[in-house]
Amino acid sequence: MGKNVLLVDDSSTMRKIIGRSLRQAGLDFDNIFEAGDGIEALEVLEKEDIDIVLSDINMPNMDGISFLREKSTRDGIKDIPVLMISTETGDDIIGEAKSLGAVGAIKKPFTPDKVNEVLGPLL
Amino acid sequence: MNVGQDIIDSTKEVFSTMLMIELEVVEVIEGRGGDIPANITSMIGLGKDIRGMLAVHCPAAVAKGITGTFLGMEVEEIGEDVKDAIGEIANMVAGNLKVSFAEAGKDIELAIPTTIIGESFRTSGMSGAQRVVVQFSMNDDLFMIELKFR
Repeated sequence: MGKNVLLVDDSSTMRKIIGRSLRQAGLDFDNIFEAGDGIEALEVLEKEDIDIVLSDINMPNMDGISFLREKSTRDGIKDIPVLMISTETGDDIIGEAKSLGAVGAIKKPFTPDKVNEVLGPLL
Repeated sequence: MNVGQDIIDSTKEVFSTMLMIELEVVEVIEGRGGDIPANITSMIGLGKDIRGMLAVHCPAAVAKGITGTFLGMEVEEIGEDVKDAIGEIANMVAGNLKVSFAEAGKDIELAIPTTIIGESFRTSGMSGAQRVVVQFSMNDDLFMIELKFR
């Protein structure tokens, strides 16, 4: 596929689960980068050639909404698509995420099929 | 709203979806405190319309089993991976319960999970709070989900 993905979640276990789900869904990325919060995610986006971001919402230091807001101000990275993957499913918070540029959302818990259904068309 | 049933449905969905494990319900306990026979507990604070706490209480064997299934590897000790994995279980169960409460017209906010390691501790607090505990069986081992709220 020749693409790079960035997984943003404060849980290292969840990052591993999402990475495994991508493989089980047949979405074989060249590189899977990881970040533990929005601050780390911005650092990775500035350094690496990332095609898509999968980000949690509830995280310490910088949460997913603040990450989207900050990313939208940076010319070099603002157009990289972000898919939210979170326990948060309320219309208000998902609506806010989408207003800040998120391209969709996956609710935890999720199956590899669900990841493929939502993420596949974005690649 | 049947809180006990909502805890059951929320927890079963998390385990069947993420771990491919079908849980059995052993007991639903309402309204009384007591000792919690657990080695690891992960708690999430609830705020806004409902204030309280959701906790996952696991003996070491269950916690290591859940973590091993999550990671696809044998887990031999209670370390960061185990704390992280049980925290994620608490997070996802609380997320499902948030949807149930929303359907009942209650908007709740979730804090970030806190996980502690210990043995046989007692929980207390919040006068006037409702308490519902559901005991589950996972491959013949027992663990509990506790919700305190008002």
